[in-house]
Amino acid sequence: MSQNEFAPWNDPAAKPLIQFKNVTKQFGDFTAVDDLSIDIYEKEFFALLGPSGCGKTTMMRMLAGFEKPTSGTILLDGKDISPIPPNKRSVNMMFQSYALFPHLTVYDNIAFGLKRSAMPRDEIDGRVKDMLRLVQIEKFANRKPEQISGGQRQRVALARALAKAPKLLLLDEPLSALDKKLRQDTQFELMDIQEKTGTTFVIVTHDQEEAMTVASRVAVMNFGKLVQVDTPTQIYEAPNSAYVADFIGDVNIIEGNATKDGDRVSIAWAEGQPDIIGTPSQPIGDGRVSFVIRPEKIAISSDKPADRRNAVQGKVLDIAYLGNMSTYHVEMPNGMVIKAQAANQRRRDSLPFTWEDPVWLSWSDTAGVVLEGSGQV
Amino acid sequence: MRRLTWFNATSLTLGFAFLYIPMIIVIIYSFNESRLVTVWGGFSTKWYGELFQNEAFLDAALVTFQVGLISSLIATILGTMGAYVLVRGGRFFGRTLFSGMIYAPLVMPEVITGLSLLLLFISIGLDRGMTTIVLAHATFSMCYVSVVVSSRLVSFDRSVEEAALDLGCTPFDAFRSVTLPIIAPAVISGWLLALTLSLDDLVIASFVAGPSSTTLPIKVFSSVRLGVSPEINALSTILIGIVTIGTVAASLTTKRAALRRKREQQMAEQAS
Repeated sequence: MSQNEFAPWNDPAAKPLIQFKNVTKQFGDFTAVDDLSIDIYEKEFFALLGPSGCGKTTMMRMLAGFEKPTSGTILLDGKDISPIPPNKRSVNMMFQSYALFPHLTVYDNIAFGLKRSAMPRDEIDGRVKDMLRLVQIEKFANRKPEQISGGQRQRVALARALAKAPKLLLLDEPLSALDKKLRQDTQFELMDIQEKTGTTFVIVTHDQEEAMTVASRVAVMNFGKLVQVDTPTQIYEAPNSAYVADFIGDVNIIEGNATKDGDRVSIAWAEGQPDIIGTPSQPIGDGRVSFVIRPEKIAISSDKPADRRNAVQGKVLDIAYLGNMSTYHVEMPNGMVIKAQAANQRRRDSLPFTWEDPVWLSWSDTAGVVLEGSGQV
Repeated sequence: MRRLTWFNATSLTLGFAFLYIPMIIVIIYSFNESRLVTVWGGFSTKWYGELFQNEAFLDAALVTFQVGLISSLIATILGTMGAYVLVRGGRFFGRTLFSGMIYAPLVMPEVITGLSLLLLFISIGLDRGMTTIVLAHATFSMCYVSVVVSSRLVSFDRSVEEAALDLGCTPFDAFRSVTLPIIAPAVISGWLLALTLSLDDLVIASFVAGPSSTTLPIKVFSSVRLGVSPEINALSTILIGIVTIGTVAASLTTKRAALRRKREQQMAEQAS
């Protein structure tokens, strides 16, 4: 890893901005966050990703000060923030519903927090104008929230949350109300703004693509616990569990019995089929394993490829045409279905395979991930 | 436009007839020359003149409006506070009891409310007069305010208040600068409701009113028992007129606001 790459989590000398230390939050009998510890560093764009009810929103609300941990401590800049009420924290939040003040203009919405800060009156105007410019809504400064579109409201909410230059900005599903095209554009803009302002962003989302696009690190959560915290690439290419693999993107999970074979393992997964050769990231013992492989890592061909040890034959069961690529569902002789993806380099009318065609699926020794244990999610 | 079927036309006619014929009769007879209420003796406005000479009626009207304004103001403040606690307070000790007590006067017969207030005032030695009427009216109309305001608060996006806290407001500042402006329409309609209820009330007022303070409904009721005088018709006509003007003005304002909102939304769509 090169020296100038942004990765403070790998630097033992770096001081984290936020530290969760054994934080538990219970609502009655329900444990929303379960003995969770994590460090988040300055200037990070940190994503909390997980299905609804996994505790990600509760974590954010504890950072904002709307909830108090049942046990454990949360440190911001080394100080315990539990006793500090939301209005005294240098943390601002952008709400999922945007929560704009309907009775105030766009300008006054952005100025709202500044008027309640120590900022001198005559500097407020300049700051508000900077914010309007940053999110490109100068034209709408005098409109009320109901007089602008959803995308513009989202910008106002962002500008309002950034206006006080918080140490930490929380974004609660910030883009979920936007349509897909606008959402993608806005993702890049968010990254741009984060870089320009140098603020630490923590984003909560259930959209894995969004988390992968914007974040420097992603924390995958389930049942109030962290399952994996890593960079988007690592999360995608080296998931530490079948849960993470399945949650992020499309995946094939093949269970089998592993036997060690040098630094590789050979996995017996179906009778009458050749073993799958896999490369575990760390040495594992013999026994039950899950072989996890992404559809795009599997090549599809009509002849048996000569140069690959991992090759299985099956017949095409289904084809999902996605435009830029197609996903082939290929049925193995034992009834199992393996998904393979191929880019559509030619036009539709010359697709190489069709339903019921016998095809070969193949992949390299290092294409998949070998995880100990069964793949039940 | 669709033509009315005979059934709809009949319903409409019956509805209008039942609602408005009594009032129209009152209005017509208020311009009656004759002293006898049921005998038409030609057109005249003399009863209006006599009404404005009648000090007892004018005093009662003055008391009624004073009581209405003060009690509705108190009811609005208390009712809004009550609604806020019920909707936003979460689960606190005694919440169920409190919400039951707030809504009790809505279902309680007025006679009982009046009697219990009377007993209270006697036992604490408060002389009956305008003060007691104000207190009684504030008590029973604050629940109506509370109902109106809490239904608005329930549909109110909580995160707007959280955003205010997040941006540096104290809880009171957030209420004053964000919550109150947003729920203002509900607070105002609660206030109008409390005012109307107070102006309207006969039963409770007759329990707690003293000899020095008679409200208009009490005055009207007691004079009608001695026989309907044409002055009462004139007074009723004036009240009907005031209510009509108020209602028409309110509905025009609402309609104009709805139109403006529609225009603004169109503007927003064009801008996006």
